Order: sequence, then C-alpha cells, then structure tokens
Amino acid sequence: MRKLFQVTCLGIFAFALLISCVKDTNFDNAEEIAITPVVEANFVFFNFNGSDFFDSQNNIPRLVVRDTTEIKFFDDGGFQDGLKRVEFFFKYTNSIPRNFDVTYRFLSAVNDTTLTFQNSVNAGTNINEVITESTRNIEGAEVTNLTMSNKVVVIVTIPSADQNLAGALKLQSKGTFYLEF
Amino acid sequence: MRFHLLILTVFLYVIQGVAQNKQLLYGLQEVPQNLLINPGAKVTFKKHYGIPFLSQFHINGGSSGVTVFDIFGESNVDINTRIRNKIFDLENTDFFTATQQLNILDFGWKSKQDIYFSAGIYEELDFIAYFPKDLAILAFEGNRDYLGYNFNFNDVSVTADLLTVYHFGANKKISDKLTVGGRFKIYNSLFNVRSVNNSGTFTTSVVEGTNNIYEHNFNDIDVVVNTSGLIAYEDFEGSVVSKTASRAILSGNFGFGVDLGGTYDITEKLSASASILDLGAIFHTKDVENYSATGSYKLDGIELLFPPLDVNELTFDYYTDLDEEIQREIVRDTTAASYTQLRPTKLNGALTYSFGRPLGSGVCDCLNMDGSVTTNQSVGIQVYTIFRPRRPQMAVTAFYYRKLFRFLAAKATITADSYSYNNVGLAAVADIGKFNFYIAADNLLEYGNLAKANSISLQLGFNIKIDN
Repeated sequence: MRKLFQVTCLGIFAFALLISCVKDTNFDNAEEIAITPVVEANFVFFNFNGSDFFDSQNNIPRLVVRDTTEIKFFDDGGFQDGLKRVEFFFKYTNSIPRNFDVTYRFLSAVNDTTLTFQNSVNAGTNINEVITESTRNIEGAEVTNLTMSNKVVVIVTIPSADQNLAGALKLQSKGTFYLEF
Repeated sequence: MRFHLLILTVFLYVIQGVAQNKQLLYGLQEVPQNLLINPGAKVTFKKHYGIPFLSQFHINGGSSGVTVFDIFGESNVDINTRIRNKIFDLENTDFFTATQQLNILDFGWKSKQDIYFSAGIYEELDFIAYFPKDLAILAFEGNRDYLGYNFNFNDVSVTADLLTVYHFGANKKISDKLTVGGRFKIYNSLFNVRSVNNSGTFTTSVVEGTNNIYEHNFNDIDVVVNTSGLIAYEDFEGSVVSKTASRAILSGNFGFGVDLGGTYDITEKLSASASILDLGAIFHTKDVENYSATGSYKLDGIELLFPPLDVNELTFDYYTDLDEEIQREIVRDTTAASYTQLRPTKLNGALTYSFGRPLGSGVCDCLNMDGSVTTNQSVGIQVYTIFRPRRPQMAVTAFYYRKLFRFLAAKATITADSYSYNNVGLAAVADIGKFNFYIAADNLLEYGNLAKANSISLQLGFNIKIDN
C-alpha cells in the first residue's frame, strides 16, 4: 500500500510534466508575417563630353545616342514576387548649353518594350553646371511591367550639336526598391 | 508553412544560456549516467546496464532574449512590429540552441581492483546559431535607413553537429577522501556545419565626388562555411536511413577527447567535485566541402559608355562584365580541405554540504555501499561553463537533494545564467529493485505556459543497477 502511494507520487510528478501547455498564443499570426525591406541601390550612370555628340570622322552631329545594359535580376522570380514599388531617382549635372531628353526603355528577354519613361534635362552653361533631378515612381501594373524586363535602353537626345560643343553631361541614378516577402 | 512554424517554434523554445547544462543530474549518485557528467563522481553501485536506447535521453533547447510568446503571444500589437522590436532588442551575442543526446549503449562494472569501468555509445546533436543582428536588420529593414552603417558579417556564427561517441571510462576511490575518474572518447562525426570567425562589412554610403549616388562597399569580406558529411548524400540513390546508420557506426571523420573529474571530501559533511568534459577535437577529412568568399569591392552601378555602333553591332556586355569583376574581386571558392573542429568543452564544479538523518547503519548498509552518502539530505552550489564560438556561457545552480523514501530520491535546483535567475528544475530517481528510472526537467515555472519559456530541458532514462 505504501509503495503504491509512493509510485503514485512519482506518477503525479511525471504527469505534471506532461500536462505542460502553450497558451495565450496565436500561431495563425504567422500568416501575417511579412518582411518589408527597402533597398537603396545604384542604377546606371554616364558621363558625356559635348564633343561626344559630334561624329568628327564623318563630320555629322550625333543627335541621338543610345546604349543598352542587361539588368538580369529584374525578371528573377523572387524579385517579381517581392517587388511592390520602385522609386527611380535621376540626377543630371549639365554644363552643355543644350536641353536633353533622356528616355529609359525597359525590354523583355524577347525585346518587347515593357515600360518607357522620359526625363527632360535643362541646358547648362559653360560657366554653370545646372542640376536637374527627376523621380519616377513605379507602382501597380507598372511594377509588373518592370519585372517582365531584363534590360534597359537609355536614349539621350540632343536637339543640335557641333564640333565645338563644350561642357559635360553627367547622370547619377539610383533605385529605391520596396520589397515584401 | 506549418513545417516552418514547427522549426521556428523549436528554435524559439530551446534553452537560454547553457545548452548541455545537466545541473539536475550532476552529483546525483543514484543515476549511473552521472558518470558521463563527472567521471570522478562517487559510485554507489557494483554494476549497471543501461536499457539500450533508453538509458539516457536528453533534449534541451532555447533562445536567449526571445520566447515564442514574444512573437506569437495574444497581443494588439502587429506581429511584424513585435518581430521588428525583437530584432532591435536582441544582440549578436544572443543565440538559439538545441542539443539532444541519446544513449545507445551504456554499462559499467566494478573490477576486483575496485575500479569502476564504464563504457558505451551515445549519439549527440548540438546546434548553436548566434543571432546575426546586422544581417537580420538588413534583411528586415533594407539599407535605406542605414546609410553609412557597417553591416558586419562577423554576426554570422553557426555550428551544427551530429555525432556518435564511443567512450570508455574508469573511476576509482583512491583514498578515503578522493575519488577520481577519466573517460576516453572516440568521436564519429555524421555531419558538421560550421561558420565562425567571419569578418567583413557591407556599407552603403553617400560620398561626394563619386561616380554615382552611392558607394556600396564590401570591405574585407572573409566568410567561410565548413561542412563535412553532407556531400556523402549528394547524388546518393540508396536508402538514406541505412546510409546514415552505417555512417553512425563509421563515418570516416574521427576525433578524440577525454573527460576528467574528481570528488574530494573536505570534511565529513562537505565535499567538492569538478569535471572537464569533451576536451578534444574532431578531424574532418572525408566528405568535406568548404565554401568561402573573400575580398573587397566597391559597387558604383553600371556605367554606360555609348560606343558608336554599326547596325546589328552589340554594345558592351555591362552586366556580365560587372558580375565577372565582382567575382574577381570577391573570390568565391569551394574546397575539400580538411579541417579540425574543437569540441565544445564543458566545465562543472560543485560544493556539497550533507546533513540530516544518516542513511543506513548496521551490518548491511545497502543504500550506501561505499559510505559516500551519509545523510538523507544535502545542499550545495554548482557552476557550469561551456565554451562556445563567441564566448563561454556560464551558469550557477543552487540545489537541494533529499532521499525521500528508501527507493526514491529527488533533487531541486534553481539556476541563474546570463538571462534568467529563476530556472527551477526538479529531478526524481527511483530504484525499484534492480530497476533504476530517472526523470529531470528544468524551467518548471514556465511549464504552465511553455510559450513564455526561454528554454526547456528534459532528461530521462532507465537502467538496471546492481548494488551488490
């Protein structure tokens, strides 16, 4: 009888361990967990001299110049799923006495245009560098268009140029990527 | 999602400062596996046979600084705000840990020379990951609000081990006052993943006069991940279970270590004991794959050069060129170079004062064969240290031991470490005939709601013990 009592004591102790519980918690909250980093990253940059807009070999102006680069991560699956908004920021420093148009055309892998926008750059003077800043907000359907692209064509247009065109045009740019996973 | 939740829950549960601290079993002479914590403990029996796979099961896990309740508790505060707040509360010295041990074989016998030999095989899982605070902030917040801040790769510090340990120990009472013991161990590593002592920073800063808006700087990156045993399963098409079983016996990655310990009776009622465990190393030479990234790079973005092109002529491959340049500057490498891993050495120490009713008397003192337990109660203090990658983790325990009945003893502990001062534990050992059973659990105050516990630890086992 005494042994039975003692074994019972031991049993109660073991039972106490087993009845331990987790309470006042809501694990359904896990569905709401979202990681929302905001990433600042450099984008493209360029440096032109005024003379770059004149083909001295053929003695003709180059009124439209263009270049292309791949941006392979834009159409990456994870990026496509996570990207909610992008804010592109462009800073032009211009001492060429001309206005410029700069067009950004995003292309898919099969070279379909998915998104296009344009900046107007104010003319500078040989004495003063004029700074033009432009922000382009991409959200909603445009985000989808952006993430279908994997390259960007940058087209710089100058209304007129000659071999004596002096000054420089400089672009600095960045993207602010709002992500959610 | 459920699976991830389970993993997260396990991580958040486990222990808080001191994985593998077996404060309840230490000094508990009724339990044969006490010899695995102090090979120089007093031995009060003649033989023991651990029930295969059941003689000791130990599981313990925790997280310092965060509990399940902190994240998933009922609250009006948005869960993402709670996670964000916790990320900033935690330090890079906080950690998540899980350890588990299972005795496969365990037995011992007293020789004619009064040496108690013990031997066996146990399996051990040991995991510790320090909280990579900087990288967690970068992942959770991004870099927008941290311009000029050095995100440090030193925060990455993880080790995970699964091994079988073959051991053989000897214990002898060499004088009326002193008992000493040692144990030789052969480690057989099933797998090891280790990434410690990383360095380097990532910084986004605004620097006047540079090419682009920012400078993204990867400075002196030196990140290494060592693995052994994992590639044994790559392209393996047979039974993973049988391969694991055969590797558990013989993996090819061996190590050696020793445990040493002793107990000294200062007076009749006061005794001191100490042990050092797992003083050794594992040499990973087979199925090794190491990954490293070293170097520095400053990323400006992509510079467009607008080369004059003929029709159908392609421009420069800027993106690939950039990618190759980064790879040239931050060299990523995969090697099969052998490496040596020190075992996480543990130190135990205790001072015990015995009092109360003397146990046993007369011709046959069956409860007290070697005269070591002279009373039915004792109190004392224990200290514990485990050497971890970033710094040692320490704990101090006060205990009360009582022989409740002829066949039942109990030990209660309260343990303090870096994060908690009220970890209450309780152990019970029953000797019913030759059958020995024990169970020990700590953080009992939290059992009412485990979600609020930083750590839990549970040990139990069954043995056949022969006292005479």
